Amino acid sequence: MKFFKFAATAAAVALAVTACGGDGGEDTAGEAPAKLNVWMMGEGTPEQTAFLDGVEAEFRKKHPNTDVVIKYVPWPQVATTFQKAVAGGEGPDVTEIGNTDVQSHISQGNLADITDEVKGWSEAATLNKTALANDQSGGKTYAVPWYGGVRGVWYRTDWFTELGITPPKTWAELVAAAKKIQDEKGVPGIGAPSDQTNAILSFIWGNGGEVAVKEGDKWAGRLDQPQAKEAIDFYAGLVTTEKVAPEKYIGKNELQGPQQDFALGKLGMYIDGSWALKEMKKVSDKDADKWGVFPIPAKNGGNAPVMAGGSDLAVWENSKAKDVAFDYITVLNNKANAAKWADYSGFSSMFTDVKFTDPKLAPFTAIAANTKMAPLSAGWGDFEQTKKVIPNAVKAIMQGGSSAEELKKANEQADELLNP
Amino acid sequence: MLDTAPAVRAARGRPGRRSSGPARPRRHRPWPYLLIAPTLVVIALLMFWPMIQIAIMSFQKVGNRQLAGAPAESVGTENYRTVLSDELFWQSLRSTVLFAVVAVTLTLVLGTLVGLLLNRLGRRMAALVSAGVMVAWATPPITAAIIFTWLFGTTGGVVNWFLDLLPDALVGGGWLDHNWFATPLRTYTVLTVCVVWQSFPFVAVSVLAGLKSLPGELLEAARVDGASAWRAFWTITFPILRPIFLVLLVLSIIWDFKVFTQLFIMSGMANRDAFNLLLYSYSEAFGGMNAKLGLGSAIAAILTLLLLAVTAVYVRIMVRQGETS
Repeated sequence: MKFFKFAATAAAVALAVTACGGDGGEDTAGEAPAKLNVWMMGEGTPEQTAFLDGVEAEFRKKHPNTDVVIKYVPWPQVATTFQKAVAGGEGPDVTEIGNTDVQSHISQGNLADITDEVKGWSEAATLNKTALANDQSGGKTYAVPWYGGVRGVWYRTDWFTELGITPPKTWAELVAAAKKIQDEKGVPGIGAPSDQTNAILSFIWGNGGEVAVKEGDKWAGRLDQPQAKEAIDFYAGLVTTEKVAPEKYIGKNELQGPQQDFALGKLGMYIDGSWALKEMKKVSDKDADKWGVFPIPAKNGGNAPVMAGGSDLAVWENSKAKDVAFDYITVLNNKANAAKWADYSGFSSMFTDVKFTDPKLAPFTAIAANTKMAPLSAGWGDFEQTKKVIPNAVKAIMQGGSSAEELKKANEQADELLNP
Repeated sequence: MLDTAPAVRAARGRPGRRSSGPARPRRHRPWPYLLIAPTLVVIALLMFWPMIQIAIMSFQKVGNRQLAGAPAESVGTENYRTVLSDELFWQSLRSTVLFAVVAVTLTLVLGTLVGLLLNRLGRRMAALVSAGVMVAWATPPITAAIIFTWLFGTTGGVVNWFLDLLPDALVGGGWLDHNWFATPLRTYTVLTVCVVWQSFPFVAVSVLAGLKSLPGELLEAARVDGASAWRAFWTITFPILRPIFLVLLVLSIIWDFKVFTQLFIMSGMANRDAFNLLLYSYSEAFGGMNAKLGLGSAIAAILTLLLLAVTAVYVRIMVRQGETS
């Protein structure tokens, strides 16, 4: 690190000298800070660090005197870490942000307005439009989509072949497949954890339902409508009436059981994203070649729309080097790096023209053709994370509560929380 | 903490009252106050000031904008009204109280029994047993919570595995997939086992310390008179150790009202139906991107008031006891 500082100073002096020589075109480099703080969400693996080192090397070609400092923020600590950044002023220059949090950040004034920079960035032309819309508010752009994750149903290709099941295209086929696996293989047919808002949304959308729709300038809840109710009844019914999903995932999310159980061959199917492949291989790669993915079916056939989860990149409002910070984003997410990152991480790139190279993950590219965003409201963070509205309703219904009543309550909360 | 005597003595030692303990010359010198001053300063800085801030914040709207330096907006008693009209608050309060009642009772009963056992045991065995129970006491709550989540886990949990081994006629079937954290009742069952396991050693050792100070002749006389162990405990041991039990009771109530770590790790933020007051407060304040520190503070303030009330009752009893003896 000392070497870098020395090198940085030396380079700065050299640049200053050459700048005097009249090379005025490169003045962004002259303003470059000695340090650029970049926050990445998650635990940070050696591979990710290696990838980011590559990005830094490339970035330094343009800004040789800037040291990029990466900090990893584990997902469970994201909310509190950003709160501290806001309160203490020790924030990042560039940060990754979960895409469902972007609107909250914008409404809190945490992110810099990068409308003009994005306009001037040629590669931005093929960014996924829906995802980019999630980063905008009042006609201004505050972030750019980085990678996205869509969810599909993971299944055992060998069991499907053996039992003569074809990947389900409707809800009824999904239940039938799960039943068959359960009867023949002695493991639960499918995992239906209650704390998996993203997957549950696909069922609601796949039945023509909505969480909320915009009426004028207000969000109006739609969870008490028949389409949403039928979808949630179906999802909860996997546990209660069909009994093809075990009770043991009630109150949990896909990572607290289903993922591990599936990897160990103790579960027939479960819903998760492309990034799960890497994680499941860590649990056990014995059957990894037998894992496959099919899209979450809509009720009467076809792919249900999926929630595009994922991360975006933003420049922090309090950053002292906003231009340089945006330059870093353009390097981190240029198309070459985007392709590398997609293959390494298992997340789809948000460039429509960057694809996975691993054939196992190819279904996700098809799934990603039918994405939908959660309501673009600053209150979505509260609705989804703090109050866990949908997971709570689903949990209560799985435990025997009346769905009409629970969804009426949930809908009241949607009306309230989505209009902060 | 083990020694309850100072509290008793302090209560008794009010001006104009004779201490019944061994008479000590009481001289007012500045030394004790000087010695205690640094502690008081630290406590004031680390405890009282944040508490005052929480009290202030509970009347304000404090979100991320305010954390960033925007002036906090005063909202009067709105936070309290929001909290008190929230169904979840009453549910959390009920969980908190019911859990405390059960856990405190179990802790005290189990702790006392183990204390009595330790008193009976020979030296080596007593050392072994107390070392064993102290391990539970010394285990940090996070470690304990993780261990219990594993023990009661649905995939590879030892408890489910064991219950499944038992004959179905005895415990019923289907244990392998049993989800201990699906409903509040089951969650609190595990939580109770975990918390009681961790807190009874302190009670046991405190009771043991008290028992060691019991005059042996009294118990001996009782035994000669043919009193049963049960009778001897209630007529001799318990009355003498009453101050100790009172302290243990109050401490246990306070600790069990404040259980957070174990519940947070075991059932997490998703299971709102199993929230206790602290988890509810945390969830409002820090649970998502939209921090609501004002609301969280209001809940924390209510919890603090509840515990202060418990402590006040205790202090009153202590002072009364000082007056009568």
